[in-house]
Amino acid sequence: MHPISITGLSKNFGKLAALRGVDMTVNQGEVHAFLGPNGAGKTTTIRCLLGILKANSGKVEIFGKDAWKDVVELHKRLAYVPGEVNLWENLTGGEVIDLILSLRGAKYNKQRKEHFLQRFELDPTKKCRTYSKGNRQKVALVSAFASDVELYLFDEPTSGLDPLLEKVFQETVLEFKNKGCSVLLSSHIMSEVEKLADRVSIIKEGKIVLNGAMKDIAAQGKKLEDLFLSQYEGRK
Amino acid sequence: MTVNHKKYVGFIIKRDWIISTVWLLALGAFAYLLAVLYPSLFPDETSMQGIIATTNTPPMIAMMGPVYGIDAINIAILMSQECLIWFAIAVIVMNIFFVNRYTRTDEELGRHEMLVALPLGRLTNSSTIVFLSFMLNFIAAGFIAFLTLASQMDGVNLCGALIYGFSIGMQGFVFAMFTLLAAQLFSTARDSMGIAFALLGVSYLLRAYGDMNNHWLSYVSPMGLGLKVEAFYNNNFIPILILFAEAMVLAGVALWINSRRDSGAGTFPARKGKAHAGKFLQTPLGFAWRLSRNGFYAWAIGIFVFGVSYASVIGELDNFVEGNEMIKLMLQGEGGTAQLVDAFIALLNRLMALLVAIPMINCINRVRNEEKRGRIELIAATAVPREKIMGSFIIISVFEIVMLTFLGAFGLYVAADSSELVAFDELLKAAFVHLPALFVMLSFTIFLVGLFPKFTSLIWALFAYSFIIFYFGKLFNVPNFAAKLSPFDHIPKLPVQEFSVAPILIMSALACFFCALGVYYFGKRDLNK
Repeated sequence: MHPISITGLSKNFGKLAALRGVDMTVNQGEVHAFLGPNGAGKTTTIRCLLGILKANSGKVEIFGKDAWKDVVELHKRLAYVPGEVNLWENLTGGEVIDLILSLRGAKYNKQRKEHFLQRFELDPTKKCRTYSKGNRQKVALVSAFASDVELYLFDEPTSGLDPLLEKVFQETVLEFKNKGCSVLLSSHIMSEVEKLADRVSIIKEGKIVLNGAMKDIAAQGKKLEDLFLSQYEGRK
Repeated sequence: MTVNHKKYVGFIIKRDWIISTVWLLALGAFAYLLAVLYPSLFPDETSMQGIIATTNTPPMIAMMGPVYGIDAINIAILMSQECLIWFAIAVIVMNIFFVNRYTRTDEELGRHEMLVALPLGRLTNSSTIVFLSFMLNFIAAGFIAFLTLASQMDGVNLCGALIYGFSIGMQGFVFAMFTLLAAQLFSTARDSMGIAFALLGVSYLLRAYGDMNNHWLSYVSPMGLGLKVEAFYNNNFIPILILFAEAMVLAGVALWINSRRDSGAGTFPARKGKAHAGKFLQTPLGFAWRLSRNGFYAWAIGIFVFGVSYASVIGELDNFVEGNEMIKLMLQGEGGTAQLVDAFIALLNRLMALLVAIPMINCINRVRNEEKRGRIELIAATAVPREKIMGSFIIISVFEIVMLTFLGAFGLYVAADSSELVAFDELLKAAFVHLPALFVMLSFTIFLVGLFPKFTSLIWALFAYSFIIFYFGKLFNVPNFAAKLSPFDHIPKLPVQEFSVAPILIMSALACFFCALGVYYFGKRDLNK
């Protein structure tokens, strides 16, 4: 039973076909990178995984259960960090973290939360309206890392973080991986992906065009960036 | 004015012209409607003196301002005395929204930052807003004056129409500058708008107190000052000049603060908050409450004050009728004093029910707003089913309806107690009998959010329609079937009419049906921006 298994996923918005048969599998205990340019369908795929969007066709499963139907059960076992984090202006960061942790219903303890608050250098007493993009992202990251779940979904989680905190993020992901957690990581930062990922899927115009182990890519002597660019510039 | 300054003015106009045009057309339509309506409401001297006898009582003066020109009464004076203040309030609200939209809101959302990075002066935005809000009010004033003049009602003349229009417009301009100042002092759009509306309330109350007691406080309030023009009678233009001077001083202070402060910052720093969420906030219900509570508190105070202020009219209604043989005779056909009070209570409770619908609709529409702002996905990604998210907001909105309905009736009771004309249980019945109509409105809102999220604002059309039917249904002889399109029109008017179970049951059933449908589909559809 795979943490994530998607077969033939299609999603249309009116006439626009955002996803046209996505196939993707994330294995137990791996960090799976999800690459693709803006608008290729990464976020739409993740939203289908979360049951926020309903697939037009295809199978979307998390831990072998239907991602649309078994939302409540599944969401106890996963944590999600959106790419663009919008928070409630009149709540503090600390309140949002507690709220999300509590609603998720997964195990967490105070120490673990405090640990990540410190590690990401977040002041939880500030109202969310005063947070910068990076700080809002930290709120979402702390509320994800602080709960004890099996699967993490990250949608460009480090786009607002400074290099020091990006490093903290990478260390944390590797720690979690070593504990047996699975991670789906959508990212534009090739160096981050090369450091963290075991396998990679590249999406183009709503279809997975390349899917492979990072080891194999390295063994062929190719750089991920070149591989990525060749998918898009190849048609020239 | 530099070239960029001109371009900037054009840019704001481009962003704003639709909204402001709608505002102006609505204001104009109302101004014209009233100007046409008034002569038919008060066809002769006797009817005018009759209404003046009513409006020349302390509670009515508190509500609409002092009566003037009794010796030379005509329709124009009457209309100006009774309507100027309501137009002023509408124009003030337009101004508060207008200024806040292009100052603190832009700054808070970071749009302003993109503009200040361009070769524009630090004060370009604020000074443009000063200029444009002056223009907006100038146009509004001219438009109202023109339409009033065009109605050709008895007693209307160019000078009076201009004084009438510009008193309204200049009050708007003063509040535009208040809002601009508030935008410099507070660091969030909510705070600056809240303080501007609070000033509107304070200004109204100062005027009410000053007008009732012939006190100088009326002159402190821009709204009190605006009424001193006595349009179509004395045509005093001095208050308009004073209001303009006040606005310029406020603009000067606002620009001065703006030139000295950091972009994005306020003068009053944002406060530190709690590092942890309380037990209640950690539940979906607590979350819904947290998002709704500030609005609820404001409405609770508002509806209570509303009840109290109208209750004082009930007392006067009674005394007035008792002391006036002619009115007494006139009312005999209606069954006398007790019926008059009852009719008034029925009317007030209907009005309060309509008002209560506003925070209720806002509460449910908040779910859609959360979705539009991309925040609901944080909650939807947790183990809370969507039906439960919606359910929490429904529970909060029902709680709000019940509390506000009670507070309105309670306010009426507390202040009207002395007259001993109103039994509390009768009052509560008259108020709570409206719940099914509110539930129907609630269920339609839920239905729209669940099935037609792009059209959630349609509920406001139904609301506006119900409001118009309430106010003008009788006046315009609206046919029965059209009136019945308003959910509120199915509710028996207690204590005047008999209670009937059928409409209550049917409406409750209808509400349950649409509510269930809305919740079901909210759980089934895509969450989208």
